[in-house]
Amino acid sequence: MADHKGAYGASSSNDTSFRKTWDRSEYAAKAADRDQKIKEEGKARYQATLEGKKYHRRASTPEDTKDTEARSARLNVADKVGKTQIIVAGAGQGKRGKSAGFYCEACDLTYKDNLQFVEHLNSRQHLVATGESGEVRRAALEEVKDRFEYLKRKREEEKAREVVDLTSRIEVARDQEEREREEKRRKRNEKRRKTKDGLGVQEIKVENDGRG
Amino acid sequence: MAHHADAKRALDERGYKGQLVRGDNPLKLFEKPVRDRIVDSYYWKEQCFGLNAATLLDRATELSFVGGTYGVAQRPTPFLCLAFKLLQIVPDKEIILFYLEQEEYKYLRVLAAFYIRLAWEKDEEVYATLEPYLTDSRKLKRRTREGWALTYVDDFIDDLLLKSRVCATTLPKINPRLFLEDEDRLEPRISALGGELEELDGEDEEEDESNGEVEEVNGPVNGREHEADGSDEEMVGG
Repeated sequence: MADHKGAYGASSSNDTSFRKTWDRSEYAAKAADRDQKIKEEGKARYQATLEGKKYHRRASTPEDTKDTEARSARLNVADKVGKTQIIVAGAGQGKRGKSAGFYCEACDLTYKDNLQFVEHLNSRQHLVATGESGEVRRAALEEVKDRFEYLKRKREEEKAREVVDLTSRIEVARDQEEREREEKRRKRNEKRRKTKDGLGVQEIKVENDGRG
Repeated sequence: MAHHADAKRALDERGYKGQLVRGDNPLKLFEKPVRDRIVDSYYWKEQCFGLNAATLLDRATELSFVGGTYGVAQRPTPFLCLAFKLLQIVPDKEIILFYLEQEEYKYLRVLAAFYIRLAWEKDEEVYATLEPYLTDSRKLKRRTREGWALTYVDDFIDDLLLKSRVCATTLPKINPRLFLEDEDRLEPRISALGGELEELDGEDEEEDESNGEVEEVNGPVNGREHEADGSDEEMVGG
């Protein structure tokens, strides 16, 4: 009776691989950990009562938090000025959900003001959501010197790239003028088109488009 | 070793545990209204968040004027915000000396001098460290309460050593130089123009007329007034 096959060719009914296996040593280790944690917490609570204070259990920082660093570029707050934007109806209540204004993806919050937005980006809530620790690494003298050299080099490179030759400067200025004239022409045409047809293009009205 | 990205913890009255400067929280060197203006300003929130001594260089090299607070609403200048950041970070002495000794960025040098005057407690060290820079005569742009003014690096450092209020802060009390000389803690001051002065004095004795030249030479040593508004008051708020 090697392979007791059932009617449909199913293998032996002695196959018990679906059952949970209990790795005793692993679970013993887990239990030991838990016991130790409870003991430590008990000690901490005892000490707190001795001092007359209340014990607060603090959530520990996850291991992969990054150090906070300074912003490497200015925040882009001005690119939507003068533009119209369609907002999905039912976008969100108050700050939650994406609606008109500055939106933070990590926290799903919208702010109507760039000052509030920047405050939020610096806040504890956002730092936790982006996995940053809110602490900055202290710089040593070597780092400061390196950074200094780097900035000096960058500035010199920028200076070198500046066009000094008179003819090329004239050309650059002429190109700039052309571009500006094109922009003006385009805007003028758009305005003319809107009023010419009577109603013109339907303006999509957005409330609180962030300009306050 | 890490410090916080924001100054909120340090400004909290409920127990400051960081480094002490002059026996107290270093941020207390600025007055409360000024502190509030700085912390509420957009520059502080956007650009001074998460700076350490190295990334502060990025901001300091972009400085283009000194000043305290300006305008009706007492807005702080970027210079003042960066000084506040330095007070929060309390960098090592060697880093501050590096800022001071470098030649390329005059506003960074002036920022370091301001920090030294505020934070260092030994008067002799302050005088000894800042006096060599009284020879630096580069121009600085200064933002006053209602407008702009022209000043010089040596003029600014001289103000730091002599005046009691600079850039919207009341500077901590420092013993006058004569007092320190009397106590033998410092050598009598050797001015860079001392030689010229003596020559001119010598000439003066030969001729009986006093030239206007003598007054000009005295100019940088005693401190000049550059205010366009013509008032004699100290640099309050600017």
